[in-house]
Amino acid sequence: MKITKTPVKSPAKAPKAAAKPKVAFFDFACCEGCQLQVANIGEALLDILGAIDVVEFREVMSEKYDKDYDVVIIEGSITDHHAEERLKKIRARAKVLIAYGACAAIGGVNGMKNSFKLDEIRQYVYGKDYKLFDSTPTRAIHQVVKVDYTINGCPIYPPELVEVLKHALRGLPYTVPDNPVCSECKLNENVCMYERGVACLGPWTKAGCNSWCVNNGNICYGCRGEVNHPAKNAAKDVIAKYNLKPELIKNKFDMYNKCKEGGK
Amino acid sequence: MTEIKNSNWKLRKGQIIAAKQMTAAEKWFDIKLEDGDLDHEPGQFVQVELYGVGEAPISVCSSPTKRGSFELTVRSAGRLTKHMQGLGKGDWLGIRGPFGKPFPVKLMTGNDLLFVAGGLGIAPLRSLINYVIDNRREFGKVDILLGCKTPTDMLFGDEIKGWQKRLDVEFRCTVDRSDPDWKGNVGLITSLIPGVTITPEKTFAVVVGPPIMYKYVIAELLKKSLPERQIILSLERHMKCGMGKCGHCQIDHPKNYYCCKDGPTFTYEEVKDSKKL
Amino acid sequence: MKSWPVSGSEVLPFLIFTAFLRPPRRAGEASRPLIEYNIWAVSVIIKTEATSVNYHILRKDKLDGFIKSLARKMKVCAPVAKGHNNFAFEEVSSAGEIALSYIPTILPPKKYFMPQREKMLDFDLTGDQPKDAANLEAPGMAIFGVHTCDLAGIQCLNMVFSEKPRDYNYILRKEKVLIIGLECNAYCDGHASCALVGNHYPNGGYDLFFTDLGDRFIIHVNTQKGEELVEGMGLAKANPADMSALDAVREGKKKAFQNEIGTELKDLPAVFAKGTDSKVWKEVGDRCVSCGNCTNVCPTCYCFDMADTINLDMKTGFRTRTWDSCQFGTFATVAGGENFRSERSERQRHRLYRKFKYPIDKFYRSFCTGCGRCTRTCMAKISLKDTLKALVAENK
Repeated sequence: MKITKTPVKSPAKAPKAAAKPKVAFFDFACCEGCQLQVANIGEALLDILGAIDVVEFREVMSEKYDKDYDVVIIEGSITDHHAEERLKKIRARAKVLIAYGACAAIGGVNGMKNSFKLDEIRQYVYGKDYKLFDSTPTRAIHQVVKVDYTINGCPIYPPELVEVLKHALRGLPYTVPDNPVCSECKLNENVCMYERGVACLGPWTKAGCNSWCVNNGNICYGCRGEVNHPAKNAAKDVIAKYNLKPELIKNKFDMYNKCKEGGK
Repeated sequence: MTEIKNSNWKLRKGQIIAAKQMTAAEKWFDIKLEDGDLDHEPGQFVQVELYGVGEAPISVCSSPTKRGSFELTVRSAGRLTKHMQGLGKGDWLGIRGPFGKPFPVKLMTGNDLLFVAGGLGIAPLRSLINYVIDNRREFGKVDILLGCKTPTDMLFGDEIKGWQKRLDVEFRCTVDRSDPDWKGNVGLITSLIPGVTITPEKTFAVVVGPPIMYKYVIAELLKKSLPERQIILSLERHMKCGMGKCGHCQIDHPKNYYCCKDGPTFTYEEVKDSKKL
Repeated sequence: MKSWPVSGSEVLPFLIFTAFLRPPRRAGEASRPLIEYNIWAVSVIIKTEATSVNYHILRKDKLDGFIKSLARKMKVCAPVAKGHNNFAFEEVSSAGEIALSYIPTILPPKKYFMPQREKMLDFDLTGDQPKDAANLEAPGMAIFGVHTCDLAGIQCLNMVFSEKPRDYNYILRKEKVLIIGLECNAYCDGHASCALVGNHYPNGGYDLFFTDLGDRFIIHVNTQKGEELVEGMGLAKANPADMSALDAVREGKKKAFQNEIGTELKDLPAVFAKGTDSKVWKEVGDRCVSCGNCTNVCPTCYCFDMADTINLDMKTGFRTRTWDSCQFGTFATVAGGENFRSERSERQRHRLYRKFKYPIDKFYRSFCTGCGRCTRTCMAKISLKDTLKALVAENK
């Protein structure tokens, strides 16, 4: 693929080269690992930076910008009242909001908090003065404000970030594939993890990551969230075929998908 | 690297020479191809490519008797058609086609015609209706029945007024839900069929509309003793290649029909054994 | 093969000569008209000529030399062990890398003819008017060790993509591939159903075809391209003993390979025609995960999706074709939202109709090649053989 560096001018509603879209990154409860993935984009990063104007990015800059944003990229999940208020304020100033990474998209590992009674877990973490520390059940971004685009994954898959950004800049909807990870894993001709005797969440997890983990010898941890119509009966068959315990699969799913019960 | 000069994936270049918002969700485009006429027949479709966005199959809504350009009416439904709403005069499109089996115009010659259109079904049917009007003396009695959700959803309003005024065409229309300005029929399109005089041995009915409409309209037509092979339908599927290969438009029917190649127009006799119409 | 004499003056001495080449006459057998001897002699000559000219021998210890020599000419792909009894066609440069005894690979060789993701069109919007070009990169290559089931799969795809309007991406790729088949002397495993569809024997579709005769391979040369290759490598012609050994292998397979479902292939379309509303589909649908594994690994599944990608310059981009699966929930949806195959049972039925009903009506051949991949790869252990048997049983 030839990458040329002409100024951005899309066929429809092109943001003019002179006024590049203002893009801001904000993080909530997360490890900020997804923001670091931006650095892993490689060569395309220069083209992206040529197409947008990054106005907030805590990982690399600290200036404060006080106007509206064309695109905000939200990393992390919402775990206390303060975060909820801050997110709503950001949303009010953003034309387009992208939920970025598993924590933002589906709650991610922070959702494990929801496996416990809120006060019990607060007490466990903060000790006897736990009431002094604000805390709510973990929520994904779309469970608090309207989300225009979702980039799944823990961490996000850099080529998908590039694709979603291009869609967002052109005002096109981006569809997260609703097929299981298996569908991409097979195209990559990986030996099925189940054949290796290891339980993998590929059959129930949304594709779009090009089976990144399995390509590199790891199982799918379900970080992109469950497909919309998971085959419940089939799951029983799969578990039986490979002599696995249903709890094993459920526990693995809980690692990233505990906010699902949170609704919306 | 070799260039495949005769690749069937290559696109004809079309420029929008006129565009008009018809309803809140539907927009009309007049498109001129740089390599000449589209050379289609009524009932055929084209694949419209918005470079970098994707491709979608769209019925041609103008008659081949109109030369120099062709027309599309696009409802904002999928990714491509939503984006198309933002296009206007001067914008370029990629076009593949025309594809598909057209309405059997030759077989219809000398017969009475009954057109039944529901909603956006008027788009492919308009191609045939205008063709028939332009060749009016070749056909017998012509009845047009049109059904819309509400009066504001009606497409081609100005043109329809023209059809209403014609002495050689009988036009009737109904809406599911009325509004204060509406003076016409209210009710489902099936309610208009009993009022039409049909001579079963020499009438072709051409029915185009949403899948739900087919079942009821066909039942009414069969009640009028119209033979199954004289009921022509245009089925909707998502044709992704137009060449009978990608598999998306295959109909669940013992005969292995691809909507893009064997259709989209079928006689009811051909497709009555389909799982879904 | 040499051309036969055609003119009368050439035919007459030939007939007289062949008339003396009598088959051994059994005791008590009446003498037969001369023409019968002619026919017998001609048939012997044809048979001998076919066998001696078109078969060559490669000693197994020379296979490495063969592969290396081939690899110097072009990219060579062959089955490679991936562990856990999984195999895949991958590029090789020596015989040592090749798994000669392998069960069907994860993906069939269709990936070399119709890549998983293939660029069909480049476009450029920098000028006043859009420009596009269909560029193809398909360097010459050889696939070594293709089993008869996969040869049949390629033949099926050839039919589909050569049908008008033709798919030139496929056709041009195909022309660049040299295919070297490899016979299965025994079943790969219990999931295969190649005898049902008659693909346990070679039915063409290759340039060269290898059969293992213990210490050596006997190679059937099927094309001029194949002939030039073996001639160039100086491989010896097969002798009558080699031919008998090949016959013995084939004869042994007659017993080893038996129709796996106990119903003839020709009877299946009728079974399917009657079985549209069978409860078998419901049962299979209840178990299906919709992962699309069965279609991705199928040698004859070719459904695809098209998508556009724009480059970051927002002015250039390309259209790609990606393998799609009729098992995915949205495969048969239209923009308005209507889904013409929303149930898993409908989608599974559709998949098997596209193997045993539609293609038999249209192309006179089964699009199931009997490779057994769909059963092997199914997450839910849905077995093709069991499904077919259940469907047949219901129709009895």
